[in-house]
Amino acid sequence: MSIKLNVIELPKSDYQGGASSLCPGCGHDQISSVIIDAAWENGLAPERIAKMSGIGCSSKTPAYFLGKSHGFNTLHGRMPAVTTGAAMANKDLTFLAVSGDGDSASIGIGQFIHAIRRNVDMVYVIENNGVYGLTKGQYSATAVKGSRKKKGEINEIQPIDLCKLAVTLGCSFVARSFSGSKKQLGALMKAAMSHRGFALLDVISPCVTFNNNEDSFRSYTFVKDNEQELHAYDYIPERVPITEAEIPEGEYSDIELFDGSTLRLETIGSDHDPTDTVAAMAALHNAEVANKHVTGLLYYDPTKPTAVDDQHLVSTPLADLPDEEMRPSRESLDEINALFRG
Amino acid sequence: MDRVVNDFTLNIATANGTGSQSANLILLHTLFEMGVPVSGKNLFPSNIAGLPTWYILRVSDAGYQAPGDRTHIQILMNKASWQDDIDYLEAGSVIIYNSDVKLPVDRDDCICIGVPMTKMARTLNPKLARMIANVMYVGVLAELLGLDQELLEVAITKQFKGKAKAIELNSEAARMSREWTAENVTEGGPYCIEARERDGNGFLVEGNEAVALGAHFGGAGLLSWYPITPSSSLAEAFIDYIPDLRCDEDGNSTCAVIQAEDELAAVGMVVGAGWSGIRAMTTTSGPGISLMSEFIGLAYFSEIPAVIWDVNRVGPSTGLPTRTQQGDLTMLYDAGHGDTGHIVIIPGTPEECFEFGWRAFDLAERYQTVVFGFSDLDLGMNHWLCKGFEYPDTPMDRGKVVRTQAEMDAFENFGRYRDVDGDGIPYRTLPGSGLAPILYRGTGHDDDGIYSEKPEVYHALMQRLKRKINNSRSELPQPIMREEPEKQVGIIYYGSMENSIQEIDDILEATGLKVSQCRVRALPLSPEVERFVEEHEMVIVLEINRDGQMYGIMRRELPIHLVPKVHSVAFSDGIPPRAQLYADMVMEKLNGVSK
Repeated sequence: MSIKLNVIELPKSDYQGGASSLCPGCGHDQISSVIIDAAWENGLAPERIAKMSGIGCSSKTPAYFLGKSHGFNTLHGRMPAVTTGAAMANKDLTFLAVSGDGDSASIGIGQFIHAIRRNVDMVYVIENNGVYGLTKGQYSATAVKGSRKKKGEINEIQPIDLCKLAVTLGCSFVARSFSGSKKQLGALMKAAMSHRGFALLDVISPCVTFNNNEDSFRSYTFVKDNEQELHAYDYIPERVPITEAEIPEGEYSDIELFDGSTLRLETIGSDHDPTDTVAAMAALHNAEVANKHVTGLLYYDPTKPTAVDDQHLVSTPLADLPDEEMRPSRESLDEINALFRG
Repeated sequence: MDRVVNDFTLNIATANGTGSQSANLILLHTLFEMGVPVSGKNLFPSNIAGLPTWYILRVSDAGYQAPGDRTHIQILMNKASWQDDIDYLEAGSVIIYNSDVKLPVDRDDCICIGVPMTKMARTLNPKLARMIANVMYVGVLAELLGLDQELLEVAITKQFKGKAKAIELNSEAARMSREWTAENVTEGGPYCIEARERDGNGFLVEGNEAVALGAHFGGAGLLSWYPITPSSSLAEAFIDYIPDLRCDEDGNSTCAVIQAEDELAAVGMVVGAGWSGIRAMTTTSGPGISLMSEFIGLAYFSEIPAVIWDVNRVGPSTGLPTRTQQGDLTMLYDAGHGDTGHIVIIPGTPEECFEFGWRAFDLAERYQTVVFGFSDLDLGMNHWLCKGFEYPDTPMDRGKVVRTQAEMDAFENFGRYRDVDGDGIPYRTLPGSGLAPILYRGTGHDDDGIYSEKPEVYHALMQRLKRKINNSRSELPQPIMREEPEKQVGIIYYGSMENSIQEIDDILEATGLKVSQCRVRALPLSPEVERFVEEHEMVIVLEINRDGQMYGIMRRELPIHLVPKVHSVAFSDGIPPRAQLYADMVMEKLNGVSK
């Protein structure tokens, strides 16, 4: 039996990780498997990926995918800063970051905002379930107002919508999906991996243990019934022949990604323009007032300079420079001494 | 009246934001260029404009660099501190005041010289009169002390370099007040300046600038920082030198600089960059260290090289943010929750600021851990005498990094945290290399970096980390000893106390004591410090804080039988250490002990 290889001739097993220790049925595991598929299908070399995470259930998942990639399970809410520093050191790596709603919407919201502001070149997946799982079920800042936990208390505080926030900050790639929508999530994941800049992928990922009763707005059944897809997707890396010939012409639009690959948006009862900030805000707002989750690519701008671009660094990644190029010359110090001596 | 040559302290009281710092630096540089041993201490407020500020100029043929214990010449420019400054003076002091301030100077026992500084300044430029008035006291002092006019004008030119109008205006002001003083002042007091031979190698520099330069020569690839006094000028000096030292012909740089959103992010970026294989640093002060503590623990536990410079200011809390202290030492040494222990290197001169600026990276990469540079506001932001910076005498020590598959193949059983060499230092690989990748973590881990809560695994890991840091004791900058053969009293001190120690020593030795000095330059302590304590009859640990932080560390780490002869003299009021004050406290302690 022949093993199926991707464009860089690696089997999918080279992209797998360790066994998950999350609760059985956890949506996060589905996201992990989407990450594995997307990295394999995009033909990313595992050793050129750096997996980044903070603290929480979601942040444990880098142990469960891409076992041949270096990773860093950092501090609660502080993964963006670590990734920013790592990107300065080695700008040619693909930074694949996983965070949660506690990590990104509460303790780490400052770093989340500033990583977007700097446009750090990274994929930023939020596995968003509205609860703190590891500390056993406290509400997070993304919990929908009025939702009720298993124990019965109702959340009285309005949520922070991280996609809305990202759009207002000028985030260069803002998308929302659902851990149960494997096809759409896969397309968005591959697109995010191809994007050059900060790609936010907010994935509603219901908590099977603490947030899955019928009244919870992040429950599996609620999301399944109330998800409103903005577009249907197919992502086509440039190296793979286009196979989706059945999509009728005129009913989709193509967006060219930085690496030359194309994200195809099939419009379903919507003419959403993902380059339009106001339209993105309107879609999020309208979904919110209708108690729905709008999914899809909400906003996209491939032209923004990244955090590394702004540094005007030499072309070789700093981590690959020889020591003698990092230490200034003896003559330059002689000159400095002479200048001081007047 | 006997003339007092090159031995006095001048205190200049002005308001912040009036340009007085320029006037003060012109004085400092004129004296320095005349070959006169001089030091300047800037006591400034946490404010942009308006609050009182003082500049202390110590002139000392003996070479003492501490601010003097008493003021001999007082310049009064500022209403707000006017009376306090007058009350502080001893009889016989010279008071030079701006008579246009219209406040009384009620000291019959002092030599009082009123000068219409604002009026004179108005004749030159009414709009800028408040600023020009400050240069007026420069002219008055030039005449009274006998400063070299030519060198004074050179100093003015350097101070306002490139600004022709400012140079002309300030030079004219200095000449005007000098002439006024020659014509109108009959009794100027005993203090005067005589030129000495200028050491051509020496110059004045701030420690922060020296550290910044050193960091460049250490090949720093990232500086991430959050503004905080008194460390900001370190980061800013680092940035200023990038075009000359780190850019290619196209202007592309070999180092990144990020002004972070807070200190947590600043140190987080350092950890990320260190993990990825470049030399990264951040600069901060005490409040920043507090915020960084969680990351410091992570870097210690996951063994990531990181360099953090703490330019200490007065705490706790916001404290006295523009004054100096050695109050962060134990916080640095023990930073992070749980059991930790960090390398701290402590420069005491600008030359060492430069050297430790690059050496910090060698140590951080060698030991795969956090290395603190410990400076303070006095060393960092005041002008200290420097003989020049020496080029690093060794290639960069990048530590144990496995960079190729061939190197990896030589390992029988590679594990990120396995102590292969028995020195507590494991081997690491870098992201992007594909070599033995692991998920780095702040959680418990085994030799292979795999999550583990096993009791024996955790215990062994913590013992190895302790052994690793302990092994650095003889490899860190060793103490500087100045020992008397009698081995009677030994003073252990560190950092910016260097500027005051010789004067303290001389005051003590004038009483007949024989005093040895041991300047500690790193934590954990060198075995040499233990030897010093062992050999001396009595040891004083002298430092600029309330509780005797170095003393506490020594009590904890010295063999128990040595502890009884070690005593603490610790004092902090925000001002760089005045020698007589500290010497008196040492005498008091010694007398108390011998009773």
